[in-house]
Amino acid sequence: MVELLAQTGLNALYAASYTALVAVGLVLIFGVMGVINFAHGELFMLGAYAIVAVYADWNLPYLVAVAVGMTFVGIVGLGMERAFFRPLRDNPLGGLVASIGFLMILQALVSMGFGVRMEHVPPVTQDVIVISEKVRLPVFRLAVILAAVVLLASLWAFLKRTRFGWALRASAQDPEAAALQGISINQTARIAMFIGAALAGVAGALTAPLISVNPHMGHSVIVTAFIVIIVGGIGSLEGAVIVAVAYAFVHTFVTTFFDGVIADIVGLLLLLVVLIVKPTGLFGSTDRA
Amino acid sequence: MHSSVTSLAAILGLGAVLLALPHALSFSQQEILVFLTINVLVVASYRLLTLTGEWSLGHVVIMGVGAYASALLSKRLGVYVPVSMLLGAVTAAMVALALSFPLFRMKGFYFLIGSFAAGEIIRLLWKRFRDPFGGPKGIKKIDPMPDFDIGIYAFDFFEPVSYYYLALAVVGVSLWIMWRIERSPVGLTFHAVHWQDRLAEASGVNVRAYRTLAFVLASGFAGLSGALLAHYIGTINPNSFDVEQMVFVLTWTIVGGTATFYGPILGCVVLTILNEIVLREAGFEQMRPLIYGLILILSVLFMPKGLESLVRGALSWQNARKKKVGETQATE
Amino acid sequence: MFAKMFKDGLTRRRLLGSGVAMAGSAAAAAVLPRTAFAADKVVKIGFLAPLTGPVAAWGKPGLDGCLIWGDWINAAGGINIGGEAHAVEFVAYDNEYDPTKARTGATKLIREDGVKFIMMLGGDTWPGAQPVADRTGMLFSTLLPSDLSPDTTTLIAPCEVHPIYNVTGVEWLADNMPELKTAVMCAQDDALGLPSVATYLAAFEAAGIEMQDDPLLFDPATTDFAPVVTRLISGNPDIVCLDTCYADYVHPICEQLFQQGYGGQVISCTADFYQQIVAKTSEEFMEGFVFQFPDFDDPALNDENINFRMPNEFYAEYASRYGADQWGAVSWEYASIMDLWKAGAERAGSAEPDAVLAAMKEGGTGLHAFGEADWWGKDLFGIDNALVGNWPIVVIEGGKATIKEFRSIPEWYAKHGELLKKHMAAYGQMWDQRS
Repeated sequence: MVELLAQTGLNALYAASYTALVAVGLVLIFGVMGVINFAHGELFMLGAYAIVAVYADWNLPYLVAVAVGMTFVGIVGLGMERAFFRPLRDNPLGGLVASIGFLMILQALVSMGFGVRMEHVPPVTQDVIVISEKVRLPVFRLAVILAAVVLLASLWAFLKRTRFGWALRASAQDPEAAALQGISINQTARIAMFIGAALAGVAGALTAPLISVNPHMGHSVIVTAFIVIIVGGIGSLEGAVIVAVAYAFVHTFVTTFFDGVIADIVGLLLLLVVLIVKPTGLFGSTDRA
Repeated sequence: MHSSVTSLAAILGLGAVLLALPHALSFSQQEILVFLTINVLVVASYRLLTLTGEWSLGHVVIMGVGAYASALLSKRLGVYVPVSMLLGAVTAAMVALALSFPLFRMKGFYFLIGSFAAGEIIRLLWKRFRDPFGGPKGIKKIDPMPDFDIGIYAFDFFEPVSYYYLALAVVGVSLWIMWRIERSPVGLTFHAVHWQDRLAEASGVNVRAYRTLAFVLASGFAGLSGALLAHYIGTINPNSFDVEQMVFVLTWTIVGGTATFYGPILGCVVLTILNEIVLREAGFEQMRPLIYGLILILSVLFMPKGLESLVRGALSWQNARKKKVGETQATE
Repeated sequence: MFAKMFKDGLTRRRLLGSGVAMAGSAAAAAVLPRTAFAADKVVKIGFLAPLTGPVAAWGKPGLDGCLIWGDWINAAGGINIGGEAHAVEFVAYDNEYDPTKARTGATKLIREDGVKFIMMLGGDTWPGAQPVADRTGMLFSTLLPSDLSPDTTTLIAPCEVHPIYNVTGVEWLADNMPELKTAVMCAQDDALGLPSVATYLAAFEAAGIEMQDDPLLFDPATTDFAPVVTRLISGNPDIVCLDTCYADYVHPICEQLFQQGYGGQVISCTADFYQQIVAKTSEEFMEGFVFQFPDFDDPALNDENINFRMPNEFYAEYASRYGADQWGAVSWEYASIMDLWKAGAERAGSAEPDAVLAAMKEGGTGLHAFGEADWWGKDLFGIDNALVGNWPIVVIEGGKATIKEFRSIPEWYAKHGELLKKHMAAYGQMWDQRS
């Protein structure tokens, strides 16, 4: 039983790591741009396909592929900002529809370029740290967890220590006041969109060797990410990270001890309960509903 | 006086066109017309909900509640289909009433996601409880609308034309009711709640009660549309009411525009024709989602006020021209 | 309908590979010898399956396979109906796995295109098309026999009898490895997973293998399978059964079984692209993996009892047209249904649905892809419209799928039919229970 608990804890830690990356990106985009990026799951999917192209097809080193995927998806994010989020800044519903249109385009492009079937990504490493007979931590999963920690820590440092980060936080808290302070909205939107998209892309790139890569894979992560950022309180990066970890633990343990469908119901019920008790999320402020 | 005669003539003309329409279409287009008519009710009811300023992602699931309720009532308890449809609508409204207690503690984006979560829980319950909901496969062989003969026309509800006339009547009456609601003091309060939330509250309006009322009414009509769908297609399952369908309703509504009563209907009609007829006929099979997505982006970019703004533009242009013609005639 | 990846499954396409393959197929079509047919001597076949969206993988590759089948038949003189050669033409309608679009598509194919036969994937989409089938008497086929019911006599399941053939794998396992005593199972909670759960439960009970735990259901949207696997192997089972998981689940589950140190037997309905699983785990780990879908280059398929024509050539043509990595079981399954239809039409001397159906079912037997088979199913589906005979048991040996033997499904059923009915009923899967 102790072994089962320990192994489940390790499983949950891994689930938490990529969920946090996706959710933090989504929060960043919402915080600065005030728009719900429905295509966020498809940015995750693009990151995974970058691995298929660069690592699996062109046989370049995996880390190079992750870097390419992260940068490429970040650039796609910049393109989204320029093409429709910026012109639609005063029209959040328009931005929502545009991102829905964009996710359809991405799915169709990937289906046509790669086919509708799942893709193969060879394992990067098969080494396993054997803690005991029933408690094993695959090295690659450990690497994903560490990468997520490093990325989130550097994001935190960036936001706290740099001028850009200061501008970003200011715009997220109060866009109008930020504009009065001489912060360029376009500039902060570009940075937020690049980082947010790149985080989704890198999450897709990191998990690609472990999950099924197909054109519709974005759907399952976006639902989880929405739950996480709502429970955390929209606009709260810390909230997103904390709730991503908590949600991953709850979901993983319920899946292990009951089943996966019950885990989904429990996750959604928790969301509703939190919203009923605190309608702006656990770490959200009441101002930006 | 003159204008009411004109509008009566316009309504009669529109009615005649709608009655004649299916006979100008191919068989498969008639099928699409039936679904389109049902979807018109969905988007129109969705607009009723959005009048108070809240956007829900659970509307299609509520439509499904009506479909499931009507299907089960007629199949399990033998309730006469037209009655079960109305009961389906009532059930959807009741479920919405129950949901409104937790949901209307939230606003804006939180309400959007809260409604999504509530809808997903309902869908998971359909999947989880095979009795009576049929699990992931849903319910099959739902009793069709009983055929009848009114002398001049024999209704055979397998035929899309017959079912279209039924749906047209139901949807027409529903739209008329929604139109009356919107024009009534209640409807005007809905608008006030949307635009002047705090002000309305300060002037003694129970904002939450009006939000709930709009939500419950809209859900009732959504449930009715679900029942119409269930008894035509004969099968429903949890995936018929998933978030992808919701995304379609959302995009129809926003692309059409919500400022006018007809905006969402216009969006639904135009986008459905584009997606189901034009793009299919053009042989774009695999590229269809891509082009549809592109159309969505372009339409919100270049028609931020929706398709309805085109209509309004055309009308005001015509009025201006009439006026101009009038003026020139007057000067002569 | 379950995909199999063949020899060069690991060949990876460049980014633009499928574009090149498409251009290549257009060129091939242009130079292909064509028999001249009179304009009115064309018989149209409807293809009503998902071509876009998440379920497209069960439809699109099948249409691609049918196009090859059609080109080959037309090049060889077409279908001889009543002494006259007819060209065959496929008309496709994308139903997006949506019952309303299936109904619209069925109406269009029958009333506007004038097709004589419609092939569907089935599942959620069949009940949408069913009223149209009942009204028009059109002949339909499905890949999922759980769609069958006595209400529609013109729906047949002539290729796959999912999930009943899964009993053959369990029976083979029990015969060859009697030391395996306990099993666990996981399945996605959907229309394919549940009847398969009931089938495996019956098969394990018949074989005297004890279930350690209730089947573990997971949501179809699951991507990370570590928790599922941790739970499955917590009691050290002898056998892990993957039910009818899609490739999207089988691969990560196997990867996790490997990484979490499981060393026992694995049995599954499918192992699509199993070479990729071998690459993700190890040859030793996958050694002895039992499933139900053979490679088409298997020597056992050249047996004279096998009715699928030129399996190796078919696969080679498919790979050259569409890319090797687009091949799946649906690529051949719809085409094998066309073999049966063609034989029926030629025997009937007519392409009309009732005549072809009568000719197909004549004598109560038919030439299934894997050998002569019986029209069967009254007990489970209420109607004898599933073509059931032998099904192969495939085992991975040295990293290669190998047919170990063909076993008879009706023979298993004769002995253990009551068990199957019991478990099917417990999961609400009997035809008279389906609501």
